[in-house]
Amino acid sequence: MQYPVVMPSAPHVRVFLSDDHPIVRRGVRTILESTSEYEVCGEAGDGDQTVALALDLRPDVIITDISMSPINGLEVTKQLHKSMPGAKILILTMHDSVEMLRAAAVAGASGYLLKSDAEELLVSALHCLGEGHRFVSPSFDTALVKQLFA
Amino acid sequence: MSSLKILIADDHDLVRKGLRMLVEEHPGWSVCAEARSGREALEQATQSNPDVIVIDVSMPDLNGLEATRLIRKACPRSEVLVITHHDSDEMAAEVLSAGARGYILKSDSDEELVHAVESLGRHRPYFTARVTEMFLANRAMGAADQADSMRHRLTVREVEILQLLAEGKTAKEVASALGIATKTSDTHRTNIMRKLNLHSIAELVRYAIRNKVVEP
Repeated sequence: MQYPVVMPSAPHVRVFLSDDHPIVRRGVRTILESTSEYEVCGEAGDGDQTVALALDLRPDVIITDISMSPINGLEVTKQLHKSMPGAKILILTMHDSVEMLRAAAVAGASGYLLKSDAEELLVSALHCLGEGHRFVSPSFDTALVKQLFA
Repeated sequence: MSSLKILIADDHDLVRKGLRMLVEEHPGWSVCAEARSGREALEQATQSNPDVIVIDVSMPDLNGLEATRLIRKACPRSEVLVITHHDSDEMAAEVLSAGARGYILKSDSDEELVHAVESLGRHRPYFTARVTEMFLANRAMGAADQADSMRHRLTVREVEILQLLAEGKTAKEVASALGIATKTSDTHRTNIMRKLNLHSIAELVRYAIRNKVVEP
């Protein structure tokens, strides 16, 4: 007689989603929910709510867009990085711009993923962050990335 | 339960993925095709004959508005719902003139999107309250212009009487104020209401206020 093997399930990594477009949050959530490692613990559509809810929910990872009101994702990153230094912040944006990347690094983000790469690389990016590494979309120059996140 | 075939057109993978989930979670709805550009949307629309097309505006190789125009010609049975992050009156007007019968913002809620698709699936237009308010404001402006031209059709005497009536005077009081017979004053009132297409004193008062014949 065989018994099903019950694996002790790994504790979920709790992820908070921040983007002013609900349909984009839904897309990200769909990717995360297709894995068994990540759990979306909360969502917000503006910067202020993101900060307030993240402080309350204490997620392991915050995935945030940049273009948001009334405070943008970089400001959110700065505030959360200061008050929750243990949480990883992944910027998820359509801005394919070195200046934005630089600003994100300065604000305290651990990762910078272009929305066009999300489907393919979101989970890899989260793995990287989980292991204490940085993750930046591959289209950016590697040497520059090293320098920015030194 | 009505079944709907839906075409999703957006150049962003995440948005298409989100839209697909939203559609698939809804009983009876299915995604018949996806497109990443306006050109693809047009091709897919003619091939798969969708009930509803959800289309983004900013897309490479034929934007969503131009695609909408061509799709409306090629597949008049397919309804087009434009979903965009551009929140402006001009955009809403463009969307309408392109032939879309729904317009919602990417920042609008999932529920709003579902309602929009449902509506278009029944061949009924769908606009959020904000957009509807804008249309009504524009229309009211047009109506006021029209009213203005009607007002020019009133004689000086009639405008005088309109004002007195709007100030709350009865036909008899109007008559004595102007030194005319009550019957004459009555006739004037009837003419004013006919010319302005008004059907009650309340409507007459509202007209007078709106056209600044009297102060509110």
